[in-house]
Amino acid sequence: MARRPARAVLLGLPVLLLTLIAGGCGERATTGVPVTLVFKHAKILGPADPVPGLLRRFEALHPGLRVQSEALTWSSDEQHQFYVINLEGGSPPFDVMMLDVIWVPEFARAGWILDLTSFVPAAERDAHFPTAIQPAVQDGKLWALPWFMNVGLLYYRTDLLAKYGFAPPEAYDELVRQVRRIREGERDPRLDGFLWQGKQYEGGMVNVLEALWANGARLLDDAGRPFPEPARARESLAFLRGLIESGVSPGWVTAGDEELTRRPFGDGRAIFLRSWPYALDLFELPGSAVRGKVGVAPLPRLPHGEGGRGSTGGAHLAVSARTRHRALAVELVRFLTSDAAQRAMTEGAALRPSRPSLYHDAALVARDPSLPALLGLMQRGHPRPITPYYLMLSTTLQPEFSAVLVGRKSPERAIADATAQVDHLLRAIAP
Amino acid sequence: MTDRRLAWLLLAPALLVLGGLTVYPALWVLWLSLQYRIPVFSIARWAGLEHYAFLAVDTRFWNAAGVTGAFTLVSVALECALGLGVALALRGQRHWRRAALALLLLAWALPSVVTAKLFEWLYHPSGGLVNFLLGGLAINWLGDPALALPALIAADVWRTTPFVALLCYARLLTIPPELYEAGQVDGAAGWPAFARITWPLVRPILLVALLFRTLDALRAFDLMFVLTGGGPAGSTETLTVYAYRALFQTLQVGFGSAIGVVVFVLVMLVAVGYLRLINRQERTA
Amino acid sequence: MRAGRLRDPLVLLGLALYAAPFFWQALTSLRPDAELLPLAQLWPSRLTFAHYDVVFRQSLMPRALVNSLGIALLSTLLAVGLGALAAYALARLPVSGRGLILLGMIAATAFPQIATVSPLYLMMRAFGLRDTWLALILADTSFTLPLVVWLLAGFIREIPPALEEAAAVDGAGRLATLRWVVLPLVAPGMASAGLLAFLFSWNEFLFAYSFTATEASRTVPVALALFPGVFEVPWGDIAAASLLASLPPIFIVVAFQRYLVRGLLAGALRE
Repeated sequence: MARRPARAVLLGLPVLLLTLIAGGCGERATTGVPVTLVFKHAKILGPADPVPGLLRRFEALHPGLRVQSEALTWSSDEQHQFYVINLEGGSPPFDVMMLDVIWVPEFARAGWILDLTSFVPAAERDAHFPTAIQPAVQDGKLWALPWFMNVGLLYYRTDLLAKYGFAPPEAYDELVRQVRRIREGERDPRLDGFLWQGKQYEGGMVNVLEALWANGARLLDDAGRPFPEPARARESLAFLRGLIESGVSPGWVTAGDEELTRRPFGDGRAIFLRSWPYALDLFELPGSAVRGKVGVAPLPRLPHGEGGRGSTGGAHLAVSARTRHRALAVELVRFLTSDAAQRAMTEGAALRPSRPSLYHDAALVARDPSLPALLGLMQRGHPRPITPYYLMLSTTLQPEFSAVLVGRKSPERAIADATAQVDHLLRAIAP
Repeated sequence: MTDRRLAWLLLAPALLVLGGLTVYPALWVLWLSLQYRIPVFSIARWAGLEHYAFLAVDTRFWNAAGVTGAFTLVSVALECALGLGVALALRGQRHWRRAALALLLLAWALPSVVTAKLFEWLYHPSGGLVNFLLGGLAINWLGDPALALPALIAADVWRTTPFVALLCYARLLTIPPELYEAGQVDGAAGWPAFARITWPLVRPILLVALLFRTLDALRAFDLMFVLTGGGPAGSTETLTVYAYRALFQTLQVGFGSAIGVVVFVLVMLVAVGYLRLINRQERTA
Repeated sequence: MRAGRLRDPLVLLGLALYAAPFFWQALTSLRPDAELLPLAQLWPSRLTFAHYDVVFRQSLMPRALVNSLGIALLSTLLAVGLGALAAYALARLPVSGRGLILLGMIAATAFPQIATVSPLYLMMRAFGLRDTWLALILADTSFTLPLVVWLLAGFIREIPPALEEAAAVDGAGRLATLRWVVLPLVAPGMASAGLLAFLFSWNEFLFAYSFTATEASRTVPVALALFPGVFEVPWGDIAAASLLASLPPIFIVVAFQRYLVRGLLAGALRE
């Protein structure tokens, strides 16, 4: 009974193997078979999406090449998890990827992205903001190119401040005073004072870091140890909690992310907003309730620090270390981060380029007069700690900071607990 | 073939699967918990009992333990009380029994993620049914650290009461009505009937339900992870959620395994303790 | 007596109210977007299938439904197949250490998933099984198999030994007896065990969330938890997806209630 099946297997197996081998050979076929590059990126926030146009242009420059664009999920944490799971175990199904700037050192250390040093001439490197190139350099090598740039800044209602004779606040206690005075005068119970992102996620971490930096406190010292200036850090945290307790900020900012805070400000229901540059384009859309009434300013300072310490952010483009089309993938990265492409992106979407030269470009400034002012802000911007372990640190610290913001822990306790947790983490990383 | 050899032949596949996927991982997680292990950065070093020593003084761990304990105690107590009540109400059911059971078991059979999304919507400050029924109050159930845990417990009780109710109901059905007549009480209703006849007979099955539910509550993960993510500010972060975050967010496989081992030991201790209690009950009964 | 007749429908109504959260979600899935936030009235002005349309055409749910169905069916077959054989051996054949093995099975049902997820993750990674059906089939089976073995061992023991002895007298070997006498009799029990295993696999979240990365193997609970929302959360679409995710469990509870109940009770009462 076992004979017939055995014979079928003996005959079938070689045929099966041959088909498999033949199928697998398709990739290494001669010209005429299209090469597909897979480009993984998040949906671009803003009025229009410039990416498809750029990709078609690249395809036109390289006949026989197709660039397949694939969207990432919306949440930054989920994007990271997606990347980790796919890059960790073998051949990821993409060639070029868009990375949050804070992931580049991590991905470089993990060996997932290609070293671009030999592909990118020094002049091209220097054409970007130093604070954008810095996080992409690890062990003296360049691992990604900046695609667009972000910096934390303060939005304010020019009409309201003008009405009460205020200039944009340079210190936070000035901001608080202005909020009180304006609310007294406007007598509108639905007018919120200062909106910011306090939810327990990376955005919330950014807000806390900016408050630390505004008071002259750092998260890590040069040796990588946490909270080198604990008293100032405490003050910063107490200040943020105080904003909520005093009503300057509504209680729901502890659940607020970028979009949840942008909307009320865009509907005219807040005086100040801390956010990223993308929001400005949305405020200036026709039909917006605050069109023409929004100004940008550097973030204020706290007693022990300086103002303007907005966090830099943005996305970089990197090439997967396991890609089968190295040269083409690197070309795509250089193309998308080139002067021309970034110009197209600035025109089409609510994005800001990582090339300082574009901020003085006549055509771009004509469309968006805020660019020169933004240049100053970008240059004063401060990157988050540049370490492969940044995300681990952030996810360890977020719950502690969140506990202070919702009033569940005192700043002292939170910093003590946070220090203990970071120390434990560092024991694993750097014995 | 001898019976003995056949037995092993039949057992082997199942034992192999379980050995490889349950026993081996159980031992492996213990081994992992004694190491500094971060696969992404190829960190693999001996740590000894460092993780456990840290957990002993880690406020986040004790907070999670407290949340787990509170969640388990309150949830299980409510489920058992409610489940018994539902079973008593269901006992006299003559018609549409299948429909009644279907409605009851629906809550239990749904995927926990579905239940989480369901309650997340019910608890929504402006779009949720709960606030609507309360007359339009804008209570932020899942965003207020004081309210999130009770809200979570309510969702879990809704989901698991049917199981307890079913067990009690099945037991109640086996109580012959003659017992009530023999006990000289008026029918099966009323407190004396309950206290003297129903309760002693239903108690053993309630203990079994208590065991199952306690073990499940200690291990619960899906509901709190999807409903609140452990927030706000850790007020609903159980040991399982803490372990998950350590493992897959901070990628500390060694540390996360240590928390997992703690949950493991806790569950096993409770299981053994309960089983001994039940055995003693059965012996005295 | 009239009170008695009123009682049954009242209890039924009470239970319908108990299941109200689910019905509310069903209603939400038919409520037009504009009427979701804020909630102004209980019953929507009109019913719409737009959310189901979005779920079918623009989300990953259809693929997730296929994944879940395949994984749950295969995992159930594996668990019941291996479990029936093992249960027969434990119930009827001489096995040294039988008590210990059964105790081990019971202990295995109490294992917390959070403890085994990290070694299993490393294992799947080492074998390149991440984002595959096989990983989840194996992981689910590891949890349902002990329960199945334990349930079926109990069911088999309930079968009078006389039947098997009669078969032996007729000259049938052990395997033949298993195939032709025992299995048909324990078939309802296998159905019960299988239903429980299927439900577990369909509802399983932790392993599925940790071992899958793309829609190649994403199951329904994971797809639901990661339901995409670009700016705002699409509550109506999520409700529709939730309803779809609930179809097999509802079907089982309604159509196979007897087997389900039997399985649940047997698991609990065999202490």
